Amino acid sequence: MSGVLVIAEHRQGALREATLECLGAALSLAPSLGGQVTAALLADDPQSLAGELQGRAHGLKLYAHPELAAYNPELYLPVLADIIAASQPSLILMPHSSQGMDLAPALAGRLGLPLVTDCAGLSWSDGALSVQRNVYGGKAVLDLALKPAATVVATLQAGAFQAPPAGAAPTASDRTALTELAPRHARRFLEYLAGVVEDVDIAEADILVSVGRGIGGPDNVPQAQALAEALGATLSCSRPVADAGWLPKSRQVGTSGKTVRPKIYLALGISGAFQHQAGMNNSGTIIAVNSDPRAPIFQVAHYGIVADMFEVLPKLTELFKG
Amino acid sequence: MNPLRMPFWGVDAAWLFYLLAALAMACLGLGLWEKISLWRQGRRAAPAPSSKQALGPALADVLLGRRIWRGGRIAGLMHLMLLWGFLGLFLGTCAVAVDHYLISFLHGRVYLWFSAGLEACGLLLVLGLMLALARRWLLPVARLERRPDDTLLPLWLLAVACGGFMVEAARLAATAPPWGAWSFVGYGLAGLFPGPEAARELFPWLWWSHALVSLGFIAWLPWSKLAHAIAAPASLYLQGQPLAVLAVAAEEGDLAALGLRHLLHLDACTRCGRCVEACPSARAGEPFSPRDVLHRARRQARLKYSPLYRLPWLRGRRQALLERDRAAGWEDAWYCTTCRACLEVCPVQAAPIEMVRKLRAGLVEQGSAVPPPLMDTLEKLHRYGNPWVAKKGAKAAWAAGRDIPDLSRSGQEADWLYFVGCTTSIDTRAQGIARALSDVFTHCGVSFGTLGKKEPCCGDIARRLGEQGLMEEQIEATRDLLNGRGLTRLVCTSPHCFDTIKKVHPLFLEEGLPLRVLHYSQMLHRLWRQGRLTFDHPMPLKVTFHDPCFLARHNRIVDEPRGLLGAIPGLELVEMAEHGLNALCCGGGGGRMWHEIPGQANLAVRRLEQAAATGAELVVTACPLCLIMLEDARKTGGFEDKFGIIDLSELVARALRLTAAMDEEAV
Amino acid sequence: MKILVLVKNVPEVAEAELEIEQGALDLEDLEMVVNEWDNYAVEEAVRLTEAAGGDVHLMTLGGEDDEDVLRRGLAMGAHSATHLCDEAFEGSDPTTLARVFAAAVKDGGYDLILTGVQSADLGQASTGVLLAQELGLPHATMAIALEPGAGEVTVTRELENNTSEKVALPLPAVVTVQSGINQPRYVSIMGIRKVRKMTIEMLEAGDLGLESQALGREASSVAGQSLALPPVGEGAQMLTGSLDSVCGQAAAILREKGGLA
Repeated sequence: MSGVLVIAEHRQGALREATLECLGAALSLAPSLGGQVTAALLADDPQSLAGELQGRAHGLKLYAHPELAAYNPELYLPVLADIIAASQPSLILMPHSSQGMDLAPALAGRLGLPLVTDCAGLSWSDGALSVQRNVYGGKAVLDLALKPAATVVATLQAGAFQAPPAGAAPTASDRTALTELAPRHARRFLEYLAGVVEDVDIAEADILVSVGRGIGGPDNVPQAQALAEALGATLSCSRPVADAGWLPKSRQVGTSGKTVRPKIYLALGISGAFQHQAGMNNSGTIIAVNSDPRAPIFQVAHYGIVADMFEVLPKLTELFKG
Repeated sequence: MNPLRMPFWGVDAAWLFYLLAALAMACLGLGLWEKISLWRQGRRAAPAPSSKQALGPALADVLLGRRIWRGGRIAGLMHLMLLWGFLGLFLGTCAVAVDHYLISFLHGRVYLWFSAGLEACGLLLVLGLMLALARRWLLPVARLERRPDDTLLPLWLLAVACGGFMVEAARLAATAPPWGAWSFVGYGLAGLFPGPEAARELFPWLWWSHALVSLGFIAWLPWSKLAHAIAAPASLYLQGQPLAVLAVAAEEGDLAALGLRHLLHLDACTRCGRCVEACPSARAGEPFSPRDVLHRARRQARLKYSPLYRLPWLRGRRQALLERDRAAGWEDAWYCTTCRACLEVCPVQAAPIEMVRKLRAGLVEQGSAVPPPLMDTLEKLHRYGNPWVAKKGAKAAWAAGRDIPDLSRSGQEADWLYFVGCTTSIDTRAQGIARALSDVFTHCGVSFGTLGKKEPCCGDIARRLGEQGLMEEQIEATRDLLNGRGLTRLVCTSPHCFDTIKKVHPLFLEEGLPLRVLHYSQMLHRLWRQGRLTFDHPMPLKVTFHDPCFLARHNRIVDEPRGLLGAIPGLELVEMAEHGLNALCCGGGGGRMWHEIPGQANLAVRRLEQAAATGAELVVTACPLCLIMLEDARKTGGFEDKFGIIDLSELVARALRLTAAMDEEAV
Repeated sequence: MKILVLVKNVPEVAEAELEIEQGALDLEDLEMVVNEWDNYAVEEAVRLTEAAGGDVHLMTLGGEDDEDVLRRGLAMGAHSATHLCDEAFEGSDPTTLARVFAAAVKDGGYDLILTGVQSADLGQASTGVLLAQELGLPHATMAIALEPGAGEVTVTRELENNTSEKVALPLPAVVTVQSGINQPRYVSIMGIRKVRKMTIEMLEAGDLGLESQALGREASSVAGQSLALPPVGEGAQMLTGSLDSVCGQAAAILREKGGLA
C-alpha cells in the first residue's frame, strides 16, 4: 500500500500533456509518500503513446485493447479497479480535464475512495493528504486537510504542476494485452467532432489580441483583426463579445471559454470580469488598454494604458505595419 | 318656378339602387361592427379613462387639424380640404336624406345655397385629392409610402367626386333650369355635352356609374385607412388622459391586454410616416420603425380577437399570418429608446411608445427573447438595486468625504431628499453630477440629504424594459422607505427617475404620503429666481443645450435649463437644428444604455454632428445617461478637439467657482 | 420524459470583493444566485420537455433560504420540486451528498438526471458523477448538446482544444451540463410570483432513512479546511504620457516580450 498511480490520458493518437504534469506532481510527492510512481495507460496501441512517459515514472503499465482507442469510463473502470486492487496505491492522480472530471468521481464512487478535485497544490504528511484548491472563480484559496485514508483519488488543475524532465525516473514497463473487456452495458463512444475547421486554437497562440465589450459591435472587429495581423497574433475575446456573436465562441477566453497562456496578452476594452481573468492571468505579459482607470483588468495586467482602445488600435497597428 | 331637388330624375329601376345601397351599407356595418367588437374587448381588458378636460383640445385638433398643420403646411392644407370637403358632402347627403324621407326643406333659396355649398365642398375634396396624389407621385414626400391602396383610395374618391359633378352637369345640360348657375361646377361642366339630347341619353349611364362607385366606396370605407375618421378623434381624446399602469400581456406579443385606448390608437394610424421620420433609431438606419410595430400590433389584435377571423374559412389564413408574425419575432421592440419623438409628431397621438413597453413586457414574461446583456442588467437591478455593478452598497461611494445627511437613518433630517439615482451614483463620469450638484445645493444653503447606501432603484429601468414585476417591487420598496422616513420632497438628478417617480409612483401610492418631485434643473432655476443662486463671475463660452428626452418631450421642461444658462454672464447659447421638444435622442433611453443589439447604430454621434454644426465650445445636458452617451460619442466620433460635454449641474458649479467641481475633468 | 435537475444556490462573487472571516466566506454582502451551470441544466430540461412532453422535477440540498433556487426553476417551467433540508447535511463532502441525493432520487423513476458540470463556489465537479455511481446509472459529463432518442440519449461532450465527442447513454442516465449549451431564459418577477403558491416537498435526513452519523463532517473525508484570499499582485504598471508616447512604450514592450521585429 504505497506509491502513486497516474492515469494517463490520450486522445486521437496523442498523449495529453496534462498527464506529464500529473507525473511531475507524483514524482515530487513520492519521496514523502514512500513509494513509486506508476503510470497506467489504457489504449488500443499503448506502446505508440508511451514514449513521453518513458523516464518519467518508475513503472509503466500498458493495457491494450482495440476498444480502448477512445476514452470510455465503462471500459476504464473495471481495468482500473483491477490495477488498484493489485497495487494498492496511496494516491491516484489524473488531470482535472474533460476526461478526469468524467472518470475520477466515477472511480472514487465505484471503489468507495475519498475524492479531491481540481487541486492546485498537494502535500503529504503523517499519512494524510493536504491539498490547495482555487475556489470562487479563483477569488479565494481553500486549504483542505484530508483524513488519513488508504487510497485517495485526486485530479489536478491544468498548469498547476510542472512536467518532469525526461529521465527523472528510470522506467520499467510491462504490457498487458487485454483479451476481454468487461461487457459493455451502457455508454458508447460514437465519434469525435472537430471544432469549426477555419478557426484557430487561441490556446496555442504566442500572442493574443483580445477584445472586450468595448469593441462596440461587429463593425469594429476588423480594426482589431488588423492589429492582430500586424503583430502576427491571434484574435480572441471576452465573453460578452462571443455571447453577442461578434466573434465565434471558440475565441472566448475565460472560465467558460478557454484558458490561455500566451507570451503576450493584449487586452483591449476588456474590463476584466473575474471569469475572464481566470482564463488569462497566467499569460507571460499582460498589457491592458481600457478607458476606465478602475477597470479590474489593471489588477492582473503587467502594463496598463488608460485610453480609448479605438485611439490605441490604429496607432499600434501603424507601428507594426511597416 | 321654385328651385328644388329632383331625386331619381331620369333614372329607372330605383329598386336596384336601393338593393345595392343596402349591400354597401351591410359592408359598412360589418366593418364597423368588427372594429367596435374589438374595441369592446379592449374595454373589458382595460377601460379607457375619460375626462372632459381633454375634449376641447381633441376637438380642436380634429376640426382644425392642428397637429397635421404643425408637421407641414401642405399636408395640413391637404387634410383640411379633404376633411371639410368630405364632411360637407357627408352632411349634405344626410340633409338630402332628411329632405327626401322626412321633412322637405330643400327648396327655394335654401336649396340654392345648399347646392352652392355642396359644389364648394366637392371642389375642396377634388383639389385635396389631387394634392394628395401629387404628394405621392409628382413631388413625392419621402416618408409617404406607395402601397396600392395609397393610390387607389384617392383615385376612387376622385372618381366619386368627379362622377358626381358629371351627373350634375348632364342633368343641368338636359334640363337647363334657370337656377343652374348656383351649381357652379356642374354648370360649367354642362357645356361639355353637345346638346340636351345627348346629355339626356348619357345621364343614366353617368348616374349609375356614379352610384356604383359611390356605393363601392361606402362598402370599402371601414376597411380602408379612412376608418381613421372614427378612430383618430377618439385616439386624440384618449392620449390626453392620464397614464394608467398597464397590465402585463399574457404571452409573447399578445396585445389582448392593450385595452381600449391602445386599440383605438392602432386604428387611428394612417401610415403618414412622421413617426418614422422622427424616430432616432429608424433615422439611423436601424431595423426598427414605429409604424411597422404599430401595424404589426394592429394585425395581431385583429387576427387574435376579430370575430371575423373566427369564421371557419378564415382560420387557415389566420394561422398562417400568426405564424408568420411569430417567426419574425418581436425583437425589434428592443431598439426603441422611448424618446417620444414619434408621439410628438404623430397627428393622431397614436405612436406606439406604450405599445413597445407592452411588447417588451410580453417578451420579458416569456423570457427567451430577452437579449442576454439585458438579462444581466435586469438581474443586477433585481439583486443589487442598480443596473451597473453586481455589488452591494455601491451607491454611496461618490459622496466619500462629504458630510451629507443619510435620510435613510432615523435622526437625520433635511428639507429635501436628493434622489441621486443608480447611474449618477455609480458611473465614474456621471458621479461628477452628484458631486457638483451637492456642492451647488450646499452653496445655496439648501437643506438636503440622500438615502446613502440604501437608495433603491426607482423602477424606471424595469419599467422601460417591460419588467413590470420588478418595477412594482422597486416602487413599493421606494415607497416604504420614503413613507417610513416621512420624506415627501424629492429632487432628482436623472430625468428618468424624475419621470417615473412623478408619474408612476403616485399610481402605487394609495396609502402613501403625497410626493412633490422636482428635476434638479427646476430646483436650480427656482433658487436662481429666489435670488439664492447668483452668478457673479462671467463665463465667456459658447454653449449648446442637448435636451434630455425625459425632461423636454416627456415633461415639457425646456425653459428652466435655458433660463439658468441665460443667467450666467457671458455665456452664449446657440441652439442645435433640432432642440427643445424636437431634440434628437442620444440613444441612451429605453434601456439601450445597457445592451448591444445587432445592427445597432451610434445615435449619439448623430446628435453630436448637430452640436458640431453650432460651433459651440461646450455641449450642455442635464441627464446622466445623455452625459455618458454623448461623452462616449465625443471620443468615438472624433469630436474631441471640437467641444466638451458637461452636465448643467457641473457647469453651474464651475460658474460658481466651486472648487470640488473644478476637479472634474469636464472640459 | 421524466427529468430530474439538481440545482444549487451559490453566492455570486464575480464582481464582489470577498471577505473572509475565520477561514470561511463572509456571506453578508453577497447575493445568492442559482449556480450558472445548473441554470443551463434547468433550461435544457425545460426545453426537452417543451419539445417532447414530460415533467421536470427539481431538487436542491441546502438551508431554508435556498428554496429561492427552486422557485426560480419552477418559474422557468419546471413542474415540481424537492428541498432536502437538514442541519445534519452540513459539512458533507460530495460523496456523502451523492448518497443523500441517491436516497431521495432512487424511487423517482426518472429517465434523465441533469445537473451542472460544477458549482461556481467550490467547483468540485463531482456530485453528478458520484450520484450516477450511487444509483448504478451510466453518466456523461460536459454536455454541450443533448439529443434524446429511443431509450437513449446522445450527448455531445466538450473536450479540450475545440474538439468534442459524441457518446450514447441508455436511459436512465446522469448527464452534467456545460455552460453555453443553450441560452437560459429570463425569469421575470411576475413569473416567480406565479409559482409562489406551488408546494415544495421538504425532506429531512430521517425521511430518507439516513442516520446523521453517516452524514456531515463526521462522514466527510475532510479533516479540516480553511479559506484565504489569494496574495494580491502589485497591479499594472501604468504607461503614461501622450497617446503617441504610450503607444510607443507599448510597442517596445511587445517587441521585447514577444520577440517581434
